[in-house]
Amino acid sequence: MKEPQIIVCAKQIPDPEAPFSNVTVNVEKKQVLVDAPDVISPYDENALEAAIRIKEELGGKITVLSMGRKVSDTVLRKTIAAGADALILLEDPLFEGLESNSVAYVLSCAIKKIVAYDLVLTGRQAGDWDSGQVGLILAEMLDIPCISMARSIKIHDGAVVVEKTVPVGYEVVEAGLPALVTVSNEVGELRYVARSKMLGLLRRPMPIPKWGLKDLGDNAERLKKVQLMELAPPADMGRACTIIEGSTDEQAARLAAVLKELR
Amino acid sequence: MSEILLLVESKDGVLDKKTLELIRGASGLGKELGIGASAVVVGNQTAQLAEEVASFGLAKVYKLEHPLLEGFKPDAWVGALEWLCKQIAPRIVLMSHSFVGKEVAPRLACRLNTELTTDCLALKIDPNDGALVRTKPIYGGNAIAALRCEGLPQMVTVRKNAFEPAEQVTAKSDIFDMAPAIDESILRVKSIKTVPEQVVELDKANVVISGGRGIVDKDDFQMLTDLAAAISKALGNVVMIGCSRPVVDKCWMTSDRQVGLTGTIIAPDAYVAVGISGAIQHLVGMIRSKKIVAINTDPSCNMFKVADYGVVADYKDLIPALLKKLEG
Amino acid sequence: MTPQRAMFWKIEDVWLFYVIAFIALGLFTVGVAIHIFVWRKSAPHGKTSFSWPALKHSLMDIFLGLRVFKGDIPAGIAHFLIFWGFVILTIGTTLLVVDDHLYHFLLGRNHLVFEVSMEIGGLFLSAGIIWALVRRYIQRVPRLEHRLEDAIVPLWLLAAAFSGFLLEALRLAAQRPPWGNWSFIGWAIAGWIPQGVAESVYPDLWWGHALLCLGFIAIIPYTKLFHVIGAPAAYYLHHSEEKSAGASLAPMEPGDSLNPADVAVLDACMRCGRCVQACPSNGAGEPFSPRDFVQAARHSLWLEHSPAGDIRFLSKQRPIEDKAAWYCTTCAACLEVCPVYGATFEAIARKRASLVEEGKGVPDLMNQTLERLFNYDNPWVSSKRERGAWAKGLDIPVLKADGKESQLCYFAGCTTSFDARAQEIAKAFCGILKHTGVSFGIMADKEPCCGDIARVTGELGLFQEKMENCLELFDKYSIKDVVTSSPHCFHTFLNEYSQTPFRVRHYSSVLKELMAEGRLKPKNPVNSTVTYHDPCYLGRHNRNFEEPREVIGSIPGIKLVEMSHHGSESLCCGGGGGRMWQGTDLRGEARMSEIRIREARETGADILITTCPLCLVMLEDALKTVGLEGKMKVMDLNELVLQSIEQ
Ligand SMILES: Cc1cc2nc3c(=O)[nH]c(=O)nc-3n(C[C@H](O)[C@H](O)[C@H](O)COP(=O)(O)OP(=O)(O)OC[C@H]3O[C@@H](n4cnc5c(N)ncnc54)[C@H](O)[C@@H]3O)c2cc1C
Ligand code: SF4
Ligand code: SF4
Repeated sequence: MKEPQIIVCAKQIPDPEAPFSNVTVNVEKKQVLVDAPDVISPYDENALEAAIRIKEELGGKITVLSMGRKVSDTVLRKTIAAGADALILLEDPLFEGLESNSVAYVLSCAIKKIVAYDLVLTGRQAGDWDSGQVGLILAEMLDIPCISMARSIKIHDGAVVVEKTVPVGYEVVEAGLPALVTVSNEVGELRYVARSKMLGLLRRPMPIPKWGLKDLGDNAERLKKVQLMELAPPADMGRACTIIEGSTDEQAARLAAVLKELR
Repeated sequence: MSEILLLVESKDGVLDKKTLELIRGASGLGKELGIGASAVVVGNQTAQLAEEVASFGLAKVYKLEHPLLEGFKPDAWVGALEWLCKQIAPRIVLMSHSFVGKEVAPRLACRLNTELTTDCLALKIDPNDGALVRTKPIYGGNAIAALRCEGLPQMVTVRKNAFEPAEQVTAKSDIFDMAPAIDESILRVKSIKTVPEQVVELDKANVVISGGRGIVDKDDFQMLTDLAAAISKALGNVVMIGCSRPVVDKCWMTSDRQVGLTGTIIAPDAYVAVGISGAIQHLVGMIRSKKIVAINTDPSCNMFKVADYGVVADYKDLIPALLKKLEG
Repeated sequence: MTPQRAMFWKIEDVWLFYVIAFIALGLFTVGVAIHIFVWRKSAPHGKTSFSWPALKHSLMDIFLGLRVFKGDIPAGIAHFLIFWGFVILTIGTTLLVVDDHLYHFLLGRNHLVFEVSMEIGGLFLSAGIIWALVRRYIQRVPRLEHRLEDAIVPLWLLAAAFSGFLLEALRLAAQRPPWGNWSFIGWAIAGWIPQGVAESVYPDLWWGHALLCLGFIAIIPYTKLFHVIGAPAAYYLHHSEEKSAGASLAPMEPGDSLNPADVAVLDACMRCGRCVQACPSNGAGEPFSPRDFVQAARHSLWLEHSPAGDIRFLSKQRPIEDKAAWYCTTCAACLEVCPVYGATFEAIARKRASLVEEGKGVPDLMNQTLERLFNYDNPWVSSKRERGAWAKGLDIPVLKADGKESQLCYFAGCTTSFDARAQEIAKAFCGILKHTGVSFGIMADKEPCCGDIARVTGELGLFQEKMENCLELFDKYSIKDVVTSSPHCFHTFLNEYSQTPFRVRHYSSVLKELMAEGRLKPKNPVNSTVTYHDPCYLGRHNRNFEEPREVIGSIPGIKLVEMSHHGSESLCCGGGGGRMWQGTDLRGEARMSEIRIREARETGADILITTCPLCLVMLEDALKTVGLEGKMKVMDLNELVLQSIEQ
């Protein structure tokens, strides 16, 4: 078959592996401040790895799409270093704080602009808002088949064959191309990207197209923001250890209460 | 625009506990808004399940039946639910944040041209305009956001344990047969086979109870197993047993249960460390747990430095007492 | 009659001999030329220069066989006999050719001395080979392999030696010269051979012997025999290379990474297996052999650069997995014992560098560790803030950027900063410094990572960044004098940085100096028997075996006993080379650290002392896993010293 054209959607977020003590919530400004470097959302990295493996087998081209108000190519060029062929940044002040439908809408406009594609891959959910919606909505908007939670992806005779994680194990499913697949971590970690490769790439001038809303149909009324009413820190964020004292019985009672609170 | 619709889920014909919680939640919201709460049962033969759902005091139960709805085929379910929602135009649609809900809700929301909030911890009604206010954890639970969304129906998926499960009542709800107008053409993804698997995947657990070298007797792990069962029963979530490396070294546990640098790295809602000192090689594997509880005889052990709750006690005394409290 | 002999006695068609000799020498020359071609291709930027000390050192290595005797005297003797037998016979035969063609000088006494020497040469050679064969095939010394070439090469040589003796016996039996008994072995055999038989068989055997000898010369470059050229080359290149104390994995640009010495060593390796015997990973039953790795590295260089492919036709290259590259702890034990100075870990580092560059063969855990190192400047936790936490409440001065006066900077390092057990090293050392009134400071949460892990795991780009970051910070803080708790940081600063514009010492040297100055006087007796584990990067890599022992020795009441592996033969704890951050999938039958702790226990010592945070963590862990807790303690040297000075 012809070589597959794969689009991977990757989001840049503050490192979700950062310890809790590095995350603070500004209640007044309704902002989460994370004292951690920006990375590519881990599931999106899994999606990229899946794409690279397909490319290794069948050839083809991988285009990475990343959307945000401000996206840093020092973070996102990692996708190129790892094996993607092109990176397109969807950047516009209007893209800040969009809700999932609008994000999917912007991505769908960009993908339609790319025209030719066989497979769209996204992470199963983003590591910051953990919504897990964009991929699925995007498939609806593109009106293409949609498979979620992939743990392995293969392309065969114009169809995509996916092992999809299900509660009892996995299910093998198949869909015609083009299709959208959301990728889970079982696919495997993104291959290591050596710093030298990264630095080489950063030094090399490279055309990285930036598309703003203007380039994507200029349909500002379609964009809606997340309506955040309140932001609060979770019940107890600091890890000051509460030592439960008392007799064994009292300790047990209080611990039982703590555990029951978990729900 | 006059009802709240919730999606019923079941496994092997048994009603899912999360659905019972949704029923309670929906009923509460319905009362507040002065509208009815209904449920939809999706499948091929759903009579029995619908019958059961009808005993929880809901206004209506819809039986959405079609041969294509046998088993869970997302394309068919989304198509059928889209058809139903267009028929009855619910004001609010609730689903569990479950395997089914996670897949169906976003796609349905898109088709109904509305916004969805996933994984909500709590729901309430804005007294000013009756909008549904959704509370949701973000940044891995480091912040809790309260949001509102546009579009109708108002759609959410709800995390388990957000509400108490509903209880049965004597009155039966009316059951409506609905035959969705769908056909083969909506199936775009073909299922080839399902392969069951059995492995301990600690990262799938909500709560992990880990034992360390402090557990002196292999048989004492039974205490941890009992504790796991009790917590699972009390909270209705997945509780698994993990361990530190010395336990694997002693061959008391297989290495897929080892937490840490050379084992699994996990971030469950709660991690209970029993008799584990807190070496960094262990901490690497569990430090991102949302809540950490340490049980240790040594008040100066490192585990207390990273725990939210610590009990300085011998597990042999504490756990039996704790079991009683959890059961009582 | 004057004692003498003619080269071609009774031989017709002498021209044929010359043709064959020409072919043999031709094959030999071509083989050597291909080697040189491959070496030049593999190390295109390598420079060689003349150095008299290097030459002297190499000649000693060659003629005394010091590297071969080292650690294995029986093998040394076997090699010594073969070597000298071979040298004598080669020189003798060359002289014979000169005598026959150029200048007839092997007459009278000269001839008699010649005959006796040749007898001795032949005897040495035969005895050496027989011994070697016995060791390999009867004693079955475990480190020796049994490949086709391992049998063919010595048997060939033995056949050449025996046929030489027999030929001589035939000649003597036929000619019966009065001075015949000078060739004492040939003469003895000749007594058994009737004159007529001798005369008729002689020419055939002569041709046989000639073919064996010429054939032997021809196969040298195509078998492990190449070491007769490769080893001297490796010696010279090794000695003339500018190197730091130990061998270093000098920061390499991937792709342009090889020195001539690195390449020569691969071809000089004769698969003796000493490295396998010394390797802690192999000893722990892990499926890794430095020899196989070296051979694989050699093979792949040849496939890449040789116009004729791999020319070692008698030994098939065994396939080796990429995963093998992750076993090595870079402990340098192999370098210590390898007769040709083969530092397997350097070949390993190159392999790791190429795997990292490629990205695919990096184990998940290593991948995560390196990401963490990049993002948070340490391999342990995703946070920089906790770095100085160990010093909380200890009232230790924190150095400031642009601090005017430079003072001693205590560089705790990543593991000492984050591992609860290793933090005790820092606390104890700072306690000692305070006790002695030394003014010093720490960088606390501003302390960077030296980059060691990046370097040893082949992430050379990241190492470069860490190095630049460190140098910049030290400059900003006007740090001119550094003391480290980890031999790894110490080694990295001293030997691996492109420049070291500050003084750097390991804490054991500082303790030693403070004692010499009389500022540190251990006085409380520690009535214990202790043994000392040499960390690889303090001992073997930096040759500091004595200072820690002197410090231990100065503590009253203490008795130091040595483990069977100590000093330059110390056995690695298994924590170096990034192994600390490797998954269980690399695990062997035993853990290296457990083997080490058992050895320590066998000395009867109550305390095992070490001077490295990684060793401390690994050995303390092993103490528990082998169930010696309570019977023995693992301590850092600082803890011991502090005990001895505290009130
Ligand atoms: C390279 C390397 C990798 C490693 N990888 C891992 C890894 O992946 N995972 C891992 O877990 N470890 C790992 N380790 C081992 C790690 O360093 C620790 O040794 C190990 O985690 C200690 O396990 P522990 O806390 O169960 O045992 P200990 O440290 O012995 O702690 C036992 C604890 O039990 C308490 N206790 C005793 N009796 C009781 C009682 N009756 N009731 C309550 N408490 C009691 C004690 O006070 C003590 O704190 C690794 C080590 C190394 C060197
Ligand atoms: S590398 Fe050195 S020690 Fe190892 S087999 Fe080769 S020659 Fe022997
Ligand atoms: S450096 Fe040590 S671990 Fe590595 S190959 Fe040599 S002996 Fe083995």
